[in-house]
Amino acid sequence: MMAAASARRRFVTLSAVATVAAIALSGCSSSASSDDDGGGSATKVSITLTPDGCVPSPASVSSGLVTFEVTNKNASAVSEAELLNGDTIIGEKENLTPGLSGKFSLRLEPGRYAVSCPNAKADRSEFTVTGVASSPAPDPSASALAAQASKAYHGYLISEVQQLVASAAPFTAAIKAGDIAAAKAAYGPARTHYESIEPVAESFGDLDPVIDARIDDIDDPSTWTGFHRLEKALWQDNSLAGMGSIADKLTADIAKLQSLVADQVYQPAQIANGCVELLDEVGASKVTGEEDRYSHTDLYDFDANVQGAKEGFTVVEPLLKKADANLASTIEARFSDVLDALQPYRQGDGWVDYSTVTQDQRRVLAQKVDALAEPLSHVAALVG
Amino acid sequence: MAESSSGFSRRTFLTGAGATGALTAVGLAVGVSGCTRAHGKPANSGSVGGDGSVVAFRGAHQAGIDTPAQDRLAFAAFDVVTKSRAELSSMLQAWTAAAEAMTEGKQVPGGASNPAAPPADTGEALGLPASSLTVTIGYGPALFDDRFGLAGRRPAALQELPALPGDALRPDRSGGDLCIQACANDPQVAFHAVRNLARLGRGTVVMRWSQLGFGRTSSTGSSQATPRNLMGFKDGTRNIKSDETDALDANVWVGSNTDQPWMTGGSYLVARRIRMRIESWDRDFLADQENVFGRFKSSGAPLTGTHEFDTPNFEQADGDKPVIPDDAHIRLASPEQNGGVRILRRGYSYTDGIDAATGELDAGLFFIAFQNDPRTHFVALQRKLGMHDALNEYISHTGSALFACPPGLKAGETWAGQLFG
Repeated sequence: MMAAASARRRFVTLSAVATVAAIALSGCSSSASSDDDGGGSATKVSITLTPDGCVPSPASVSSGLVTFEVTNKNASAVSEAELLNGDTIIGEKENLTPGLSGKFSLRLEPGRYAVSCPNAKADRSEFTVTGVASSPAPDPSASALAAQASKAYHGYLISEVQQLVASAAPFTAAIKAGDIAAAKAAYGPARTHYESIEPVAESFGDLDPVIDARIDDIDDPSTWTGFHRLEKALWQDNSLAGMGSIADKLTADIAKLQSLVADQVYQPAQIANGCVELLDEVGASKVTGEEDRYSHTDLYDFDANVQGAKEGFTVVEPLLKKADANLASTIEARFSDVLDALQPYRQGDGWVDYSTVTQDQRRVLAQKVDALAEPLSHVAALVG
Repeated sequence: MAESSSGFSRRTFLTGAGATGALTAVGLAVGVSGCTRAHGKPANSGSVGGDGSVVAFRGAHQAGIDTPAQDRLAFAAFDVVTKSRAELSSMLQAWTAAAEAMTEGKQVPGGASNPAAPPADTGEALGLPASSLTVTIGYGPALFDDRFGLAGRRPAALQELPALPGDALRPDRSGGDLCIQACANDPQVAFHAVRNLARLGRGTVVMRWSQLGFGRTSSTGSSQATPRNLMGFKDGTRNIKSDETDALDANVWVGSNTDQPWMTGGSYLVARRIRMRIESWDRDFLADQENVFGRFKSSGAPLTGTHEFDTPNFEQADGDKPVIPDDAHIRLASPEQNGGVRILRRGYSYTDGIDAATGELDAGLFFIAFQNDPRTHFVALQRKLGMHDALNEYISHTGSALFACPPGLKAGETWAGQLFG
């Protein structure tokens, strides 16, 4: 994972499109209106951050484009405002220290939301959007393709989490049995079906930190749980003492992920942005070897991030081809470049120890990922 | 980024810091107003301080060679990673449009307001004036191999530089298929240019090395004062100035006698990363420092004169020894000692922090020189300097590259069309 705070911030960068997940959930057909520049007819809502809280004004607006203007007057411990739909952050403005202000805009469908400002006395205020849900997208064929993409990606998510449950089972069982060798062998493969859908897990706030935090992401090491806690026990401590409960918690947290994912439907633009995030994960921690620093199994994660991105791209590709066929073929070619560049590091069913990959080789991999991620970052706007 | 009061004051601060540059640049614009090329024009009235001067992007020659040297440099060398000539050509078209817009103080063309797409411009120069930005492109010898059908367009003068005495070159600081030299009077404007071209090139090129420079070490305008290098000396007093038309034609611009007509009006850029042994230099006594250069440290005058621009007298002796020593830098580099050969220098001081192995400063001169034939100019000079220059005790050349800089673009022309013909 990336550091918890930054991972969350990144997912919200798709704020405008994240909103449509709410629509999909509420059963309405959706229109991902991501072309809006935030100007024009936006309804303004002001939020003042104080030590006591962050009450939006007005607390109820009509559906449509809404611009939240956030000001921190004097709250030294509070520096961000988040808009939540359930537990999912769909928009936010952060790093607002006293005296600063900022804004964010999104298109909101009718429903009940909350404004949250961590570290304030009352850190959550209700926010209501009234009116009727927006009408279906005007282009029926694009709409049908979007629905197909959402459905296909939903199916992929369900399948990946099922495989995550299945591949984590022998890993946690080996931990509980105190079988270090078996647990080591199961570690890399157990992670791949998590890494392929990691941005989705990150969108559930606390779930990614408990499953995938690295020691640097944790304030208090005694509360550290998840894959990397077990990785350290296996490769560095060479002891599984006390790890049974960590294994049980991992099993439970993965089960929780499975139940949450069952309800998730993503719109094409969100899927495309998720693909970019997956590649950013590669660049941020896999290429550097920071992710699996004890086991050096980083290439399992690297490959899984890329495979997850490729799957996401594949489901939105029919929509992209309607908008920009050249971009689609460029991205296809660059996916091939990245996957081809990984092949020399194959070892049996798995991957070589990442510590054997030289700095020069790592740089080539990183450059190929950047070459892919740049054009991929333009897809969301074209399929939304 | 938050539209906040502190964000605004940071921007104000930046432009305020550039105010000195603005004064200089205005002076320069006046200084060259008699030339046929307009190197500078007044800022838009909307500009709020800083250097609003715009250096013309198109013309007979590329900007950034004989145009007045700005205060800051961002330089990058790239390797081409695509095998496709069409992709390279398309990138050069995009680079042309972006470079032209940025030199005019505008954003990289493309969408900027779609919240679901990354903006076409990365944004850090938003609100900053044009700052006399110049973006100069060059092509390395390796580009003219068999990859892109350019072998037939390779100029004879564009050969890998030979091994030279005193070389301590690092491959990761040398060479490259392409280069971009971005100079401006605001470091953020210069960096922004290189960063955005690198972004447009992603997947087509990869950056091989890059260098930031923080203080110009040469003047190219007669009205510019000669700056000092990190050794504290005025160096390049006798540099070719932009109003020396004959010297530019004789030494800098590729003439119509070239084997490759597409290079007529172009020039060859030699870049050398010259690390100074700062710690040793700082403990050398003053008279020796002055003998190494052949100039007085304070005034910049040659040891045989009293004013900076006095012509050095290489014959003058003190007893049986020449006043300007035989191994003094200005003697060995002088046109008098080199068959009249002159180069146009446009280097910058650099520092890259400390040398991890020794803890000593990694700082020096990022030397850039333009000439119409590197074989008769830089290579000939450096053969001599590398062997005999007293300065060698205090410097080492750690990076090196050569690029062919094509002539300026005509209206409607792009770097792609110019290169591929």
